[in-house]
Amino acid sequence: MEHSIIKVENLSVCYHSDKIRTRAVNNVSFNLDRGNSFGIIGESGSGKTSMAMAMMGLLKKPATVDGQVYYGNKDLNSLSEKERNLYRWGKIAIVFQNSLDVLNPVLTVHEQILECILRHTVLAGQEADKKVVQLLELVGLDAGWNTYYPYQLSGGMRQRVLLAMALSCDPEVLIVDEPTTALDAVAKDEITRLLARLQREKKFALIVISHEMQIIARLANRVMVMYCGHIVEEGLTKDVLENPMHTYTRGLIHASPSINPYRDLWGIPGEADRNSLEGCPFYDRCNQKVSECKTKLPQLEYISIERRVACNRGGIATLLIGRGIHKSFAFKGKTVKACDNCDLEIRSGEVVVLIGESGSGKTTLAGILSGVLTVDEGEVVFEGEKVKGNSATCRKNGIQIVFQDPFTATNEHLTIAQVVREPLDILKIGTKDERFDKVRQALKDVQLPGDEEFISRKCHSLSGGQRQRVAIARSLVMEPKLLIADEISSMLDPSTQANVLRLLKGLQNSKGFAMLYITHDLALARKIADRVYVMYKGRIIEHGSVVDVFDSPKESYTNKLVNNSL
Amino acid sequence: MKYVKHVMISIKRFNAMGKIGVAVVLMVLFLGIFSGWLSFHPYSIPSGGSLEAPGAVHWLGTDDLGIDLWAQICFGARISIIVGFGTAFLAGIGGSIIGIFSGYSGGLTDKIIMRITDMVIVLPDLPMMIVLGAFFGPSVRNIIIVLALFSWTVPARIVRSKVLSVKQENYVTAAISYGAGFWHLTLRHFLPNILPLVMVSVIRLTSRAIVAEAGLAFLGLGDPTSKSWGLILNHAINFRGIYFTDYWKWWVVSPITAIMLLVTAIAFISRDTERIINSKA
Repeated sequence: MEHSIIKVENLSVCYHSDKIRTRAVNNVSFNLDRGNSFGIIGESGSGKTSMAMAMMGLLKKPATVDGQVYYGNKDLNSLSEKERNLYRWGKIAIVFQNSLDVLNPVLTVHEQILECILRHTVLAGQEADKKVVQLLELVGLDAGWNTYYPYQLSGGMRQRVLLAMALSCDPEVLIVDEPTTALDAVAKDEITRLLARLQREKKFALIVISHEMQIIARLANRVMVMYCGHIVEEGLTKDVLENPMHTYTRGLIHASPSINPYRDLWGIPGEADRNSLEGCPFYDRCNQKVSECKTKLPQLEYISIERRVACNRGGIATLLIGRGIHKSFAFKGKTVKACDNCDLEIRSGEVVVLIGESGSGKTTLAGILSGVLTVDEGEVVFEGEKVKGNSATCRKNGIQIVFQDPFTATNEHLTIAQVVREPLDILKIGTKDERFDKVRQALKDVQLPGDEEFISRKCHSLSGGQRQRVAIARSLVMEPKLLIADEISSMLDPSTQANVLRLLKGLQNSKGFAMLYITHDLALARKIADRVYVMYKGRIIEHGSVVDVFDSPKESYTNKLVNNSL
Repeated sequence: MKYVKHVMISIKRFNAMGKIGVAVVLMVLFLGIFSGWLSFHPYSIPSGGSLEAPGAVHWLGTDDLGIDLWAQICFGARISIIVGFGTAFLAGIGGSIIGIFSGYSGGLTDKIIMRITDMVIVLPDLPMMIVLGAFFGPSVRNIIIVLALFSWTVPARIVRSKVLSVKQENYVTAAISYGAGFWHLTLRHFLPNILPLVMVSVIRLTSRAIVAEAGLAFLGLGDPTSKSWGLILNHAINFRGIYFTDYWKWWVVSPITAIMLLVTAIAFISRDTERIINSKA
């Protein structure tokens, strides 16, 4: 408690306009220790800047601010405007989001900074002028620039001027709002390094607000993820980036090319337009919501040391666990171990790729996980229930498996409608019309026509790529939570493969199911994977995030595999 | 209805031989069904002098009792067709069901059923048929049952092996993973695959049954009242010294020709059906 320099309790910001109340920040609480750094990340409109403004006490009517902001032991919100001014800028300074109109266009750089010094410090005259030059040097600007006007400066320079202004009173807390937006890569890097250096030298506490992952990663020890004014996840930056526990955080990381340079970019589907107070703010876009989430607002709770998540399901749920899976086949007196003590874990909404050469037991493992094959030893648990036979595949929201060979995966004697409708027919789900609608929707999802003429065609009249898509459509009518795709593209030509894969990944992103993708194609794996499992001779020899496994493989076999094929 | 349409389409794809076959079989069917109108003489009572040579009144002549041979052939067609197709369908359907069940169940059930089939196959069928025919008493129904008892193994084995291979297909794995039961798999996935095979084997069984029936009747183990083609032959051969006279030229030749025509025609159809099915697959 004594260490914390800033303590925010139940801070809420609400904007009133006409009859609409927009809650920009909702009951946010956090501590910041002296000299520590702290990042706030979120999409635009998530309330990051509103919170910074509220901490500075800069929000005026029609906005209302509730809750307490303590500086040391003083509640800043209870102070009068005059008293508050002492803290503002002197103790807590803010670097505003960089834009041309933040600086007064008719004042030179020198005058801008001088104004701050004269207002907030006791310095005057010569000393003040000297201080301006010192500050400019501190932020890496040549003293010669001080006669220029803001419009004559580049974005990076303006950012430095803003920084110099904020540092003019040697604050103990510095809030930096989007320090690098709209800067090019070099300027971005310079500013980031500058901020890191200044914090090291001046030992102020730093709050970085950004929507850029890599900035936060370099500047902040801890990070808070904000969504719609709520804090949804909080923890050590490194941990959060490596192992996000909230679906929103994961979505943000996946949308950031600098964290994973290989993967295709996929944003979080949907828009943040939820404004009701009931239920989880992320409900509409979450891929693991349960009915409870609609009505119950999740609280930020510890799920492990130094990690708090606001999720009714305790963070990203583990969908499937395979433990100690053994499976061997006997051929002519010889026993082949297809799976040897395999452990595997798939969390909801992620793409796990299982790679390995042919004959390494990948398909056997997939069969066991889906319940198509029986296991010799070990167990598979899907959503807390042991998988036995088709218990996970014969229901909605379960596991679905798509096979390698599109020609045997669909019965050529049947029509497309019959194939896609089959699971619904077997399980007697819905009326005839409902089934028909579902079939059409599924076909539309896989970009096949849904007209009468097409769906009454026999499967043998389709190409391999089309038949594979029909097989995927059949899986989709069951709305799976986990889709196991066993080398589904290996028998297709490159163009069809690309189409099918993009389609599948797009569906995965929009529908939010988890996917276990099995392949021997490393380049492909790197493109779509969140996590990778490497299988060799029936054993899982390595697993981890795609960057770890591909950039620094631990096992020699993985190393060989990566070197040979990439 | 769908399958009937399917059959119609395949008939259109027959080549000349197949079409001839179909024509002959249809003709024999026609003979059998309209035998009462096609022959002016009764098939069981004498209508002329005994052993008359073919002529304008008796197209194929008469037998020793003066019964018109054409009338007998027409009526015999009915028996041959009933026995032939009856046996084939009975054995085909029964054999298919046993085959599907055996292939689907696998394991011990499959082993037991297959051993039973092996046993039925190694039994010499003609002596067994003679014994059973004698035991059950001669009637068309009994002949059909006895023949079917010895014919179901052929479709059963073919169907079983096809079901075994279809069971390996991923679409069946997928269907089972959705919880599909025996009936769903059979109707949706097994039947469309085995139907062509069953068709071929049913056609083959038909000709086999016709010959077997004629053989039984020839040996005097058929239904003595049924007047099948085999029975005509049986009577003719039992006529002492038939080969020393000219009577065999119409009395023996006509039923033999009828049997050969029908069996050859069915063989043509069977060959052509097989060709069409194979070319499609």
